[in-house]
This record gives sequence, C-alpha cells and structure tokens, in this order.
Amino acid sequence: MLSSKSIINHRIIKEALRIRKVEEKFLELFSQGKLNGTVHTCVGQEFSAVAFAGQLKKMDFIFSNHRCHGHYMAFTGDVRGLLAELLGKASGTCGGIGSSQHLCHNNFFSNGIQGGIVPVAAGYALGNKLKKNGAIGVVFIGDGTLGEGALYETMNIISRWEIPLLIVCENNFYAQSTPQHINLAGDILSRAKAFGIRTGQGETSSPEELMHKAQQAIDYVRGETKPCFFLVETYRLNAHSKGDDDRDPAEVASYAEKDFLNIFRNESPAYYQMYKEVVDQEVDSLVEEILLEEELSPERYHQHEEHHTGNAWTPLETINKRQVELLNAFFKEKIAADEKMVFLGEDVLSPYGGAFKVAKELSFLRPERVFSTPISEAALTGISNGLALNGFKPFAEIMFGDFMTLAFDQIVNHASKFHHMFNKKVNCPVVIRTPMGGRRGYGPTHSQTLDKFLVGIDNVKTVALNTLLDPGRIYQSIYNEQHPVVVIENKTDYGKKIAQQQLKNFVYEHNEDPFPVVRIRPAVSAPTLTIVAYGGMADMVAGMLEQVFAEADHKPELIVPSLISHLPVDLVAASASRTGNLLVVEEGSGFAGIGSELIAAVTEIVPHKIHTRRVTALPVPIPSVKSLENIVLPDKSRILDEIKASFQ
Amino acid sequence: MGLLQEIQVPLLAVNDTSLTVVEINFTSGSQVKKGDIVMVFETSKTTYDVEAASDGYIQYLCEADHDYEVNTVVARVYSEAGETAAPPVHRPAINGVAAAPVVKAGPASVWEGETLFSREATRLMTEAGVAPSLFTGRDFVTAKDVRDLLQPASGIQAPKGEPAVTRAGNAPNRLPLPADPQKVIVGKLSSAKKREIEYLGDIQSTGLTSTINTFVETNGIFTHINRSLKHLKDALLPVILYESARLLADYPLLNAYFTGDAIAHYKEVNPGFAIDIDKGLKVLKIARAGQLTIPAIEEEILRLSGSYLDDTLDIDDLTDITFTITDLSSEGVAFFRPLVNKMNSSILGISAIDARLQRCTLSLTFDHRVTEGKLAAQFLKELKDRLESYRAVDTQAALRGVTCFKCLKTLGEDLSGVGFARCITPEGKDGYICQSCLKGF
Ligand SMILES: Cc1ncc(C[n+]2csc(CCOP(=O)(O)OP(=O)(O)O)c2C)c(N)n1
Repeated sequence: MLSSKSIINHRIIKEALRIRKVEEKFLELFSQGKLNGTVHTCVGQEFSAVAFAGQLKKMDFIFSNHRCHGHYMAFTGDVRGLLAELLGKASGTCGGIGSSQHLCHNNFFSNGIQGGIVPVAAGYALGNKLKKNGAIGVVFIGDGTLGEGALYETMNIISRWEIPLLIVCENNFYAQSTPQHINLAGDILSRAKAFGIRTGQGETSSPEELMHKAQQAIDYVRGETKPCFFLVETYRLNAHSKGDDDRDPAEVASYAEKDFLNIFRNESPAYYQMYKEVVDQEVDSLVEEILLEEELSPERYHQHEEHHTGNAWTPLETINKRQVELLNAFFKEKIAADEKMVFLGEDVLSPYGGAFKVAKELSFLRPERVFSTPISEAALTGISNGLALNGFKPFAEIMFGDFMTLAFDQIVNHASKFHHMFNKKVNCPVVIRTPMGGRRGYGPTHSQTLDKFLVGIDNVKTVALNTLLDPGRIYQSIYNEQHPVVVIENKTDYGKKIAQQQLKNFVYEHNEDPFPVVRIRPAVSAPTLTIVAYGGMADMVAGMLEQVFAEADHKPELIVPSLISHLPVDLVAASASRTGNLLVVEEGSGFAGIGSELIAAVTEIVPHKIHTRRVTALPVPIPSVKSLENIVLPDKSRILDEIKASFQ
Repeated sequence: MGLLQEIQVPLLAVNDTSLTVVEINFTSGSQVKKGDIVMVFETSKTTYDVEAASDGYIQYLCEADHDYEVNTVVARVYSEAGETAAPPVHRPAINGVAAAPVVKAGPASVWEGETLFSREATRLMTEAGVAPSLFTGRDFVTAKDVRDLLQPASGIQAPKGEPAVTRAGNAPNRLPLPADPQKVIVGKLSSAKKREIEYLGDIQSTGLTSTINTFVETNGIFTHINRSLKHLKDALLPVILYESARLLADYPLLNAYFTGDAIAHYKEVNPGFAIDIDKGLKVLKIARAGQLTIPAIEEEILRLSGSYLDDTLDIDDLTDITFTITDLSSEGVAFFRPLVNKMNSSILGISAIDARLQRCTLSLTFDHRVTEGKLAAQFLKELKDRLESYRAVDTQAALRGVTCFKCLKTLGEDLSGVGFARCITPEGKDGYICQSCLKGF
C-alpha cells in the first residue's frame, strides 16, 4: 500500500493525472462522436511515460507506437497540440493529418506500424552518435510487438554497433485482444540478453522506484553509448482502443485496485481533488476552445502540381568510363568530403566493396561512415530512414532488387509517409539503391525487375539509371532531393561505358531536367515511331535503332526517362501524337506496369487515336537457363517482331 | 557564312508581352565582338542586357524607346559586313498585335550526311528503278518516302498551323490634357513612371478600392520581437511579413487578383515589400514567406535591399508577388492610403509608431471586385491580434520559487494551511519542505 512506501514526488503524480485526464477526455469525446478514427489510451500505464519520456532531455528523442499519447505529453508537454490533433483541427500538432497514432513534435515521432519504428529509432540514435552530441533516444513497444522481425534485426545491430537507444517494452500482457500466453514463447528479457544488451525491469505500480530505475537506464545509455532494453510491467485499465474489451472484468478490477493513481485518490483525497480540478479545468477549457477551431483546408494538405518536361536539348556526352566506375567515383567524392553522407548495405566494406563493387574503397576512405549491415533489409532501410530524419543523407544499398520486398514496409509506411502524416514538419531524404534486371543467369530470386511495385509510392521518387547519361549527374540530383528516392541500377549496365555508340543519322540529346530525359531522334526527318525505354532496356533499344529503321521501315524516336515515377507524359504525348505510334519497352512483366501507366496517361491527352504496344517480360519468374531467360525477357528479335506486327 | 545570331524579344516575365528597347549601343552595320552588350530591354521590373553571341556585324531592326512584342526579331548579327545592308526596321507592335511567328529555315535541306534506306524502301526503288541520288539531303528514306516521290499527291499532310495568339487590347488611352508651353514646362515621363502608372492604374482606375485602418498597440512589442532580429531591431516589417504570410493562407481572396471576368487565386503566398531609396519604387519578393522564420525573413529583406541598391536584383525577385506590404514607418506618417498593385487584390500599409500613444496604424487597401470590407477587416483584426500577442506580459511571479524540495509541490498548491518549512536539504542547500513530506502521507 501507498502509505507504507516512502514519499512520492507530487510533480509526477500531477503529470500522470494530466495524462489520465486527457485520455479519459478522448474516450468521452469519442462517445460523443466528436472524435474521428480511433484512440488507444494508456490509462493505467501513465507512469511508464512519466518515467522514461518525462526524464529525457530536450535534445533526446522518442519514437512511439499507437499507444503514444502519454509518451507525447510527458516528453513535449504539448497537451493542446495533442487535443487539437485528435479533434482534427489545423492547429493540431500534425494538422489533424496524423491523429492519435501519428504524432510529431520537436524530437517526438510516433507511427502505427508495430515494430517498424524500432529500426528508424536506431537510425536516429546512430545519427546522434555520429554527431557526438550526447543525445539518446527511447523507443516504446508493446509486448505484442515482440512478434515482429524488424525488432530482432535491430536489436542485433544496436548491440553490435553500440547505438545509444533505450527500448522500453510496455508489458500489459495483452496484444489487442490476445492474452500474452497465446502468442509469446520463451522469456522476454532473455531475448535482449541473447543479443548482449543490458536489461532493466520495473513496474508502474511503484512509480518512485520506476522513476529511479528509468533514470539509471537513461544514464547508462547516455554514459556508455550503449543500448538498453527495459521491461515495464503494467496494465491498461481501459479497452485496447474504444469498446473492444473481452477481458475478465474481475481481472481488470483487481488491477484497478492496484493502480497507483487510484490508491492516491483514496489515501490523499484532498490533494487528489485539488490536482484533478486543475487538470480538469485546464483540459476541459482547452477542448471547448479547440472545438470551435477550423480544420486544415485541403489546399494546405495537397496541391496538384503540373509536371512539364524540359524542352531545351543538349547533345549527349560520351564518357569513356564504365558506369560502375562513375558511380564509385561519385560516392568516393561524397563520402570523403560530405558531412551528411552515410553509406550502408550488406557486404559493402572494402576490399569487397559490395556485390557489384559500387562501394569499392569507400570504407577505406572513411570507415566511420560506411556501415556493413547484417543481412537485414528491413532494419538497414529503417536505420537509413532514421538517419535521414536526423539530417543525414543515407545511401542504403539493397544487394539485389528482388530483396526490395523485405524493405517495402520501411519505404511505404515510413519513408513515404513521414512528411505528409507529420503535416510537412519533417523530411526523410533517404536514398535506397538497388540493382535489378536479368541476363546474368542468376535465376528467379536475383533477376527480376520490380520497378512497377515502386513507382506508385506517394512522395517517393523512383529513378532508373541508364547507359546514356552520366550516373554522377543523376546522383547529384538525387543527392539534392529532400524526399525519399529509390534508385534502380541495372546489373548488365554496370560494366558499360556511357553513350558510346552514336549513329551519324540520329541526334543524341538530353534535356536539362534534374533527372534528364534522353531523346534519340532522326537527324532531320520527322520520326514515325515513338519508342520509350528506360533502365537496362534503354541500352538495348538504343543499340537497335538502325535495325528498327531498316527492317521495320520506321524512323524511330527513342525517349528514355530516368525519373520513372513521374514519366515525361507531355513529351511522349507530343511525340506520339505526331508519329501516331507508341511502343513502350520494359524489363518487368507487363500487367499494371510502367508501360500501362504511360500509355494510359498519353492516350488521356492525345485527342486522336494512336497505335500503342507494350513489350515486356513474360509473367513468370525469370529462369536461370540462358535460352529460356532470353525468351522471358524482351530481346532484340522480339522487340523487332512486335514493331513489325503492331506498327504497319 | 551568313547569319550568326538572331535577337528576339525575350519573354522575361509572364505579364510582359512586350518590352521596351531602352538602349541601342551600336549603329547598324558596326562590327561587334562576342560578349558586347548590343542592346538593353526594359521590362516592367528591371532591365535586361543582350550580348553578341559571336564576333560579327550587327543589323538593328528596331528603334530605341519603342515597345516590341515578345519573339519579334529586333536585331541580327552577320559574319560579313555587307550582309547588314538595308535593314527593314520593324514597325513597333504595341498593345497586343501579334508579331508574325519567326519561321526557322526547314532543316530538310541541310543534311549532308549519308542517306539510309530501309529494306522495304530499297526493294521499292529497285522495282521502280528509282536512283538513290534522288534522295540526297535526306537522313532516312522509308517505303513511304519512296511512294510519296512516285505519287506526290498521296499522303501529303497539310501543315498544322498554330493559330495566332491575340490579346484583347487595353482600354483606349485617354486624351492627354493640354500643356501650354508658355505656362508650363513639360518634362518627359520616365519609363519607370509610366510603368508605375500602368501598375497602379490597373486597379485603382476602376475606383473600386477601399481602405480600412486599424491600430496596433505597440507597448512592449519589441521585447520579444527584437530577440529574433539581428539588424532590423525595432522594425515591424519582418514580423508583419511573417504573420501576414501565415494569415494569408486563410484569406485566399487577399492573395489573388481580378482578371477581368474572374478571380485568380495564387497557389503560393509570396508577399513583397515596397522599397524606394534613390533607385525607384520597386516591390521585392519574399518567396514563400509563410515557410520562413522571422530571422530568415529578416535575412531576405536585407539580401533583397542589398541587391536593390547594387542593381543586382534577379527578375525572380520582382515577379509573382501575390500581396504587397508598404512600410512608411520611417517617414513619420500617421496613416496613409496605399495603392493596390497590378495583379494583386490588396496591399498593407505600415505607418510610423506614435511614440506617445504607443501605437501604429495598419492600413489595408483592397480591390472590391475581389473581396469586401468584412473580410478585409477580419484579416486586419486577426493580424493586429497576432502582432499584439508579441507584447510582453508581466506574469505575476508571486509565489514562484517556493517549492517543496521533495515533492516539488509549490506553496500555491499547499492545502495544509500551515505553509512550508524552511529547511536544509540532504545536499546541504537551503530549501523548503511541505507538511506532508515532513510527516509522510
Ligand atoms: C504491423 C502491424 N500489425 C498489426 C497492427 C494492428 N495492431 C495495432 S495495436 C496491436 C496490438 C499491439 O499490442 P502491443 O504491442 O502489446 O501494444 P499494446 O496495444 O498492448 O499497447 C495490433 C495488432 C499494427 N498496427 N501494425
């Protein structure tokens, strides 16, 4: 019982009470229909927030999950911003865009993807370590999230790399509706211990002691620059979110009796009453005021932007160096001199220098900025996201394009969304590079072109290199981007030199867009066939233009975009409306591919009918055996046959 | 060799469909060197120099002090002196008469490389006995080209002409007032003044503008503001730019203009501030001020004013201004009526701070065709409130500092009615302790 314990700091009681009041207010507003969406309240768990989030320094940071209101209030003190956020008002901390699970203020971030924030937090903490600024961070997870793989990928890395991150696992014995014993195997702390991570343990029912232990854990992480895993035993007294509670009421009641704030209410009613009145008055009047406020106007959230492709053309420059040498040269220059630069990936340390040697000698030049990661695409991408949020320019290498699927959550639910869901308060200028493409016999899981899965991600640019443009120029533009970029390199292009073959009767030129479009057109004649190809296919099609002319009796104009997430529709439409014929060649399979998108967009704006055709990979995994691989992927003879058959 | 360079009237700002030639630096037929400034245009905002792109002889097709439509060829540079003879000077095209489009020589005649024939073309030519030399000057020849040669009528497409763009003429000029040389001395209007008249006349001449005024209490206002300012201490302009840019996002009608039959809303908020120190009245743009901090705005003001004084303003610093602020506070004015600029719907005027009354007038003139008094008044009120919120408030610090060292409860919160006891903390410092901590719960 309370009275048997020593003295408790009233400040932390008041803080916990305020959190509880806000949470209860949310449930009340929800039942009145004034609150949209969902809430996950932390009633019963408040002291975990006060102990960890409340004892960090201003320069520290927090990543939290769906049950984040308490963490937010304890760290930022911004009750008003939180209330307005959940009430969907423009003055909310994220303009009402993020609401309950997606908050961002100063160095506080939360996201609704279980486990996904853990590597992001690790990246943020790594950024602090690189800056040597003495700041640390806390990431909160629930016990249910102990099932997520990204957590373990990250625990491995933070221990190995000594990243100053404190993982606080709030064990309330339930994951949504499921009691722990159904899903959790083994012991919780042993998990962290197995990675060599120091552990700690405490309970919200003994707040003073928890405060003390939390401070010790924080001091350890800061002092030793090492990670720590802290398990907080607690219990949530309300439903998982709103009305969804199937727990035994007797069980809940027994915990309510043990709840510290309830005990305090019974034992010190006068103080309880006084503090309660203050927070009631504060929160109720804030809510009254906020309810009258405006919501964010749609224009302030999103405005349509017209994309115009540049129409000033410069001759293509031949460069007598291989693409991979130029890539390597770009990264060498940046890693040596640039303070924001970090390079991460599997096997990227030299002398090996990455599976395709793009990273050669980087780690010799600046070992502290080149990170060879374990096999952990989700974590390495998440860590890159965290570095990017912390002001760095990380370049993450995914060894083979096929493995992008393992990084997908970090791209789609984190990198892509941060900027908008946090109402444009942050940017995540991460770069994720990967080689795609076949023709090397690597077989089904190491050859596929998966670009169509990447081009439709909001606020993420997808760039495909080719052999016609200096990759250093494109990478400089990528470097300048303020938002995520995925770069698709092509395995067979690495060894080729730039814009080598230039036939006399064609003009080879590029525009001056940041991601230039290349155009190869007849020297003087008006073209009669528009071809669009990009990435690895650009090299093949550029090399067969004379053949297309001689055998298919067409004067071809080839357009090669490098930014494939925003296709040069206007330019292609202008060309296709003149030629009446549009062919798109891509190395991925055709259904719902880049060609489908481009042709649809072009036909929307070309007033008359044009003939269109897509040449793509066949819809089967790419075989290893050479003869079959050549049939599955588009090759010269198939392209030629398709042109002859489709464009008379 | 012939023509080396053709100088056309450039499109420098969307609104300037014609430019004035203000200087012609050579006479026609003179020799020019690469890099020589051969002529100067004046836009509504600034001047623009044209350089010779190579050594040669210049032929002017224009006269100084006349306006020419964008894209009109106004000069040529030739390689030989003789080629500049008999220049047909363009009649200046004023007020929207579209100049004839410049037709570039068809490139088909200049190909000197090899001619390539498609397989099908070769077959047809062999069949019909057509000699390849007939196609000299072509880069590629397809079967269709061969058929077109054999049957010229087939497949000829009429070139798709682009319709000439015409623009509604401006309102007819009023007749000038008489000026009797016996009684008055007539001075020529400077082009800058002409522009100014056009700019301000565009909206004010309809007479549909109105001005409203408000006071801002300035007592104590700089205590906070000056903390954010490095150089422009005690100036309201940076914070007014800051606040109004943010506010304008909620007042799209004040960040717009009247097109004649519609209202155009700017997508961005780019306020400008008027400046007039010896170099003529100009409005300089603080691009996307709504996303800048007060120190960043101050920096922009200083940068732009510097460029204004050094004549190094960029055209971009002067265009696409969506709202204007004119600050006459250093001139000691009590209040004034600012005039709305072309392609704006409102302008905010800042008068001087009255040191005795501790206040300053803000005046907003707005175009009634776009918005009305109620909205303008709301804007002004909100701006006033925002500015006044910077005033330092003396929060009463009565019981501050008396805190129980143990539970951090303040004296103000104490319920015991006994008060706190002064004590020595375990660290040996002076402190206070409350009754409950002294006795335990
Ligand atoms: C990746 C992912 N899977 C599933 C969910 C849906 N979901 C939201 S909260 C939750 C339970 C989380 O349990 P736990 O981590 O123990 O946290 P608690 O709710 O107990 O605080 C689930 C399954 C989610 N948000 N993200």
